[in-house]
Amino acid sequence: MVTEEEKALLVARPDLAAIAQWIAPGARVLDLGCGDGALLRYLWDARQAPGYGVEIEDESVIACVANDVNVLQVDLESGLSLFADGSFDCVILSQTLQAMRHTEGILREMLRVGREAIVSFPNFGHWSARIQIALGRMPVSATLPYAWYETPNVHHCTVTDFEDLCRRIGIRIRERLVLHEGRPVTLMPNFLGSIAVYRCTAR
Amino acid sequence: MRHALVIAAAPRLSAQNIAFNEVARQAIMTDPDFHGGHYYEKGVVPARGLRIARMIGHITYLSNDAMMEKFGRLLRRGALGFDFDADFEIESYLRYQGEKFSSYFDANTYLRITKALDYFDPAADFGGDLAAALARAKAAFLVVSFNSDWRFAPARSREIVRALLDNRRIVSYLEIDAPGGHDAFLLEDARYHAALRAYFANIEL
Repeated sequence: MVTEEEKALLVARPDLAAIAQWIAPGARVLDLGCGDGALLRYLWDARQAPGYGVEIEDESVIACVANDVNVLQVDLESGLSLFADGSFDCVILSQTLQAMRHTEGILREMLRVGREAIVSFPNFGHWSARIQIALGRMPVSATLPYAWYETPNVHHCTVTDFEDLCRRIGIRIRERLVLHEGRPVTLMPNFLGSIAVYRCTAR
Repeated sequence: MRHALVIAAAPRLSAQNIAFNEVARQAIMTDPDFHGGHYYEKGVVPARGLRIARMIGHITYLSNDAMMEKFGRLLRRGALGFDFDADFEIESYLRYQGEKFSSYFDANTYLRITKALDYFDPAADFGGDLAAALARAKAAFLVVSFNSDWRFAPARSREIVRALLDNRRIVSYLEIDAPGGHDAFLLEDARYHAALRAYFANIEL
């Protein structure tokens, strides 16, 4: 049963709606790179899940304060030293992994701090990206919207790449949802999916 | 108390903070007009000590960058004087601030306020555990630090935030990239003011 709020979130950020489905009511949540706090606001209103957001951009931080969500303005690249081991049920990193320098580090930290980690990122293996590279240009699309010279995204990966990394560093993938334009992709996800969302635990 | 806004603060003073306070106190207490604190009975005030105390205080409130921008190496008299009058604008500024302060601030009060600051340590009653000290806090917190503040650096505010998080309190933390040093908490900054306005807007009266 999809509520009005869920519908609105689904339209604006389909990966956030997917993530919300995976959060149990009352779960303590940490949202890394939380933007304006929309997900946290939704999780509190719809699932009574209390949470904190981490965000570095001034404007977004102020938007979080206005949105009445807990926000902590610290740099994710330095790790999650503000948070104690196992102090959250779920740590979320939505569409931010590809903009991190310390990718392995943040994944490990997420699973130190939380029982589960939920990670979403744009899939660089989507066919439209492959075609653009084959034609000789860095891909630009709805999910990869930046030009190469002004992109914050420094560590792109594909569905396959991410799953390889998880295997290599001992992260167990519990659930995967790959989306394109808001709809789930089950066939050839690395080719047909533009956003990948994973629920993981430590091994 | 429902809301606490903790701005440019620390959970207790560092050794360096105490050191600066001590220098200020020494300046006052060794002033010949101090008379063990009974200066009013002698019809004087330890103005020299208060002046120096204020000068030291001012230096700790400003950042190196802010001082360079405001004063740089500007000369008061256009050329070096080769005397011990104020050659540089910063010297003149500090002398002026000290003079003004010594005319209205009571020396004994200054000694006691700095001692209170030095002694302040809520975690002391809990074996140094700040989280234990803050366990009974019920308020929602907004903690703000300024990254050019070297008197109470952002790391100090993060200690407070960590203790509040350990207690699962409602807390938001902003680390504002403002150039004014500790003084920034008094100055205009669009992000700082926007954050406060947004926080206040959500408070139900």
